Amino acid sequence: MRSPKVFRTTPFRLTLLFLALFAAAASAFLAYIYLATAGEVNRRADATISRELASLEAVYRRGGFAALNQGVIERSTGNQVLLYLLMDRSGAPISGSIARSPIKADLSGRTWGAFVLADADADGAILRRPARGAEEPMSGGERLFVGADVGDSEAYVVGIVRALWGAGALVLILGLAGGVIVSRNVSRNISSLTDVIESARAGELHVRAHVRGAGDEYDELASGLNDMLERLERSIGGLRHAGDAIAHDLRSPLTRLRARLEAAMIDADAGRTDPRRALQQALEDTDGVLRTFGAVLAIARLEAVGDAPDQTTFDPGALAADIAELYEPTCEEKALDFRSELTPGLKAKGNRDFIAQALANILDNSVKYTPPGGAVMLRVRRRSSGDIEFSVTDTGPGVPEKDRGRIVERFVRLEQSRSQPGAGLGLSLVAAVARAHRGHLELDDGPGAMATAGPGLRVALVLPKPG
Amino acid sequence: MRILIVEDDLEASSAMAKSLAESGHETVTAEDGEAGLRLARDSRFDIMIVDRMMPRMDGITMVECVRRDGDQTPVLFLSALGEISDRVQGLRAGGDDYLVKPYAFAELIARVEALARRRDTGSVLTILRVGGLEMDLIARTVHRSGQEIDLQPREFQLLEFLMRHADQSVTRTMLLEKVWEYNFDPQTNVIDVHISRLRSKIDKGFDKPMLQTVRGAGYRLES
Repeated sequence: MRSPKVFRTTPFRLTLLFLALFAAAASAFLAYIYLATAGEVNRRADATISRELASLEAVYRRGGFAALNQGVIERSTGNQVLLYLLMDRSGAPISGSIARSPIKADLSGRTWGAFVLADADADGAILRRPARGAEEPMSGGERLFVGADVGDSEAYVVGIVRALWGAGALVLILGLAGGVIVSRNVSRNISSLTDVIESARAGELHVRAHVRGAGDEYDELASGLNDMLERLERSIGGLRHAGDAIAHDLRSPLTRLRARLEAAMIDADAGRTDPRRALQQALEDTDGVLRTFGAVLAIARLEAVGDAPDQTTFDPGALAADIAELYEPTCEEKALDFRSELTPGLKAKGNRDFIAQALANILDNSVKYTPPGGAVMLRVRRRSSGDIEFSVTDTGPGVPEKDRGRIVERFVRLEQSRSQPGAGLGLSLVAAVARAHRGHLELDDGPGAMATAGPGLRVALVLPKPG
Repeated sequence: MRILIVEDDLEASSAMAKSLAESGHETVTAEDGEAGLRLARDSRFDIMIVDRMMPRMDGITMVECVRRDGDQTPVLFLSALGEISDRVQGLRAGGDDYLVKPYAFAELIARVEALARRRDTGSVLTILRVGGLEMDLIARTVHRSGQEIDLQPREFQLLEFLMRHADQSVTRTMLLEKVWEYNFDPQTNVIDVHISRLRSKIDKGFDKPMLQTVRGAGYRLES
């Protein structure tokens, strides 16, 4: 059998430990109080007894045996708190308030002792009360005993001790209750967090921990957890979106492919057509699917590695010049005015192949979307911050500001571009390359609208300052 | 040519064997690196096509063993791994070319023939001749039937590659990889435009066009 949950919590265990320490301290404190108080009671009684003995001794010195006997008789008859007994040399009583000495004394000097006084109260019940006394031999050989009933004082001490025990018990109970409350409070806060973690583990990533706004460590923990869940949800959402998009982008060409093959088979069976054409088309469709798949894989790999591998220091202008040379004839054929402005002698750090591919993708887009007669400008420069910027500006239709964030996402293609070939992965790959170099991608308006053209688009791949 | 195919996917290897046989090549197949290594040691081949990932012994290990034996038969690696580092690893192990799966048969055959060709023409030649074309690699000049043709540096490199592989199909990917040294496919037909520029320079004004387009494969420079 396990103890209830609250008793197993860490705060409750800490409370118990604290209580144990506290109880030990309280016991030591009680013991000290008891010893100090009880000792004080005895010391006071002893002082009174000593004073009385001294006073009676003075009487004896002044008036001899007769005066002492007189004094003892006088003191014994009043309603006295003290006990008196005057004995002869052999210890036989002469006068006093008690019949015989309650302590065993030797005859050499004053002897102290504690004893118990039996007394009957008004109802006849026997009361036993603690008492102390001292016996002293007189110079004439008589023996004088003076005692004191300390019962009332001891009862007082016992009362104090009982009160202290009570207080101790109260402290223990309050401490335990406090422990339960504290651990409940802590448990409640923690369990709201563990509930969230439990749900997340079960796949419900939308749940969030409650942040109470107290600004304490629970809030910090809760907002940290929420932040983590936020990112997780976003990246899983991204994956899911990519998964859906891949399914869509692979499924439609695959469906087309299947339909074509099926139709070709029917036609071939009927001897109507040459199946070569259908097969040719099927091959082209297959290549399209494979290209999409390759691009998705490249992006996924880049995103998985974090930082791009095989980074070297290179001349970004030279790299851009190579890519420009690759695209220049295509631009010319499409009647695009293609120019480049490449700052020579710069240094950039990165994976040359990825950067070249990213730049090719940006140029691909510009060439694809800029209508004939337009212009494409490739620039490489160093910003004042030291960052290296590759930019391509065209006079194409541009991208409305509200869509700019979106076209970087995988598979997003704007309505106007549906007629163009491509899977909509070009800029996503550029963005992935930028991220893998701790850089970023910027999209802006181009040179602005002119007649029917424009406003154009400016795409910049910015790499951080090398070194 | 006698070609050794080492590939654990039997369907892929029999399709490959069939298409190579149709191009007039003799093929021998092995299912894993160990069997491939045994065959490579027992008989001579002109080309070996080796899959990278196979059971028992992978392609990299097999080719390393072959090279340690002193066998310099050209090796074409096939792999689903297409990152730059994967290619570098394959070439370091002793591969001569690296083709990423999936591939078109035209691409495979073009590369196999290019590898075989590279073997018998060394790079010691200083003058390349194909039909009426003559390329002087030292003077960096090109003539067709005695008439000088003015080429840009990249056009010169492109023509050199085509001349070294004259009468063979070369694919767009091969040109991108070997002439431009890029390992990605641009979406637009950038290579086609470079080829048509070159074509207009070497074929314009001559009766017989030398630079042919091969449907579904790429290009061929005919002598």
